[in-house]
Amino acid sequence: MKLYHLSDVSEPNLIKDIFPYYLPPIIKFEGNIKETIDGKEVEFDPRSVIDRDIHITDTTFRDGQQSLPPYSKEQMVNIFKMLSRLGGSNGVIRQTEFFLYTKKDREAVDACRNLGLRFPEITGWIRANKVDFRLVKEMGLKETGMLTSCSDYHIFNKQKQTRREAMEEYLSVVEAALEAGIRARCHLEDVTRADVKGFVVPFVQRLEKLTENQPEHLKVKIRLCDTMGFGMSFPNAAEPRSIPKLIWRMKEECGISEDRLEWHGHNDFHKVHINGACAWIYGVNAVNTTLFGFGERTGNPPLEGALIELISLKEELMGVDLAVMTQLAEYYQKEIDAAIPFNYPFVGRDFNTTRAGIHAEGLRRDEEIYNIFDTAKLLNRPPKVAITDKSGTDGVAIWVNDFLGLKGEERLTLMKVAKIQRWVMDQYEKEERLTAISNKELEDQVKLHFPDLYKRANNRESNL
Amino acid sequence: MEGEEIGKRIISVTARELGKKPEQIKYEHHFANDLGADSLKSIELVAAFEEEFDIDVNEEEALKVRTVGGAIDFFKKLLSN
Repeated sequence: MKLYHLSDVSEPNLIKDIFPYYLPPIIKFEGNIKETIDGKEVEFDPRSVIDRDIHITDTTFRDGQQSLPPYSKEQMVNIFKMLSRLGGSNGVIRQTEFFLYTKKDREAVDACRNLGLRFPEITGWIRANKVDFRLVKEMGLKETGMLTSCSDYHIFNKQKQTRREAMEEYLSVVEAALEAGIRARCHLEDVTRADVKGFVVPFVQRLEKLTENQPEHLKVKIRLCDTMGFGMSFPNAAEPRSIPKLIWRMKEECGISEDRLEWHGHNDFHKVHINGACAWIYGVNAVNTTLFGFGERTGNPPLEGALIELISLKEELMGVDLAVMTQLAEYYQKEIDAAIPFNYPFVGRDFNTTRAGIHAEGLRRDEEIYNIFDTAKLLNRPPKVAITDKSGTDGVAIWVNDFLGLKGEERLTLMKVAKIQRWVMDQYEKEERLTAISNKELEDQVKLHFPDLYKRANNRESNL
Repeated sequence: MEGEEIGKRIISVTARELGKKPEQIKYEHHFANDLGADSLKSIELVAAFEEEFDIDVNEEEALKVRTVGGAIDFFKKLLSN
């Protein structure tokens, strides 16, 4: 056993190359990942994400809308505009797809297209049949996703077809798309429950053959759809659940390049985000997401989680304006009446709110101790404390000082706010209260104990 | 202010804040272990000392003081400056 000696440093090592604070924490890799496929060892280099054009595609208006009441056209346009600002001019949020079935869907596509925004690009989504394909043509879209289900659950039990019948039908719609100059994006539905060598690979090889002589903008794209959330990120997991093996087969055995590969996941086993990140790491460039993970059943990879992951992998913001994420969360809750859990990462009401006194003490000493990154600067969400019997005098001090807008030497000490903390504790110990103290109640306490500071803060507020 | 006077006032404030008689408070008493002051009560005690001597103290240094004798010495030093 190697013996390690204590490194008794005089200055703290805050490991700033990984935890810069002005960015989300950086993800670094130290070597290749090995995977056994068909009895042979193959290697993946996760460090390739730095140079690859990894990006996000969005399905908020398609899969996302399957789990919420339909959006109005105005709401779709507003969300589209915010998605564009969020993803920035580098197109980190590269595309978003729309249903084309109703008049409202088509009007929303037109309204979003008329904004003239470069990103996200608008694509369609259809079932793989020629009737649906007509809609794409009529809308003048350059690319459409089409449902090409792969598992025998779908082919035999749902579509009542043989594998050959299914494949020929899918191929005929792709051919029709090519003839019309529209790029086909084949959504390999239920691929993590399919016969990979017996259907998926032969089908994708045929697809690739079909478009191999086409110009780049018409070459087929492949979306790997983990429809039931069965995908596994663990190295050496068996097929068909293994995400690494699936990606390897698409690239090495079917010739699909990383820029034409996309991952679409579902959260049935709480694996949705990490499976998307895994797909990036193992060589897919696009991860398909929805805002706040809203999507069929348990939902899709949350767009906001994917953005943070991408920034962590790329070690830079890539033009993303994360503060728009906060605006989108407010919009969803106020305008769409969608519930975002209070503890939901990055956007939930309390995602960076501490109730523990010991954490509040840390926050008072140095915000970085208990805040994941500079959430005030990046998300416009400074860390907060909620006041209960567990938040301690440190919690009250943070709340009062933040409320009064006091900085540096001006900030009130624990001794100055002790009377408020005594009132808080009396609420629980004497009044047997079971709920958190509201902001209004705390404000009243501040007004009572610090009337001059309260007045000053109010004057400042009204002058803004 | 005389050192003796400071000591008396510290003991008097401590007794009042902790609901004890001044004669029960000893120089060597530990605020938490001997007199039962929890963390909030310790902060309130420092706040009461601040009020008694009409002075603001450094929070970190003041809350490091653990005993009655330590508090007397702390305020003697502070007030002599």
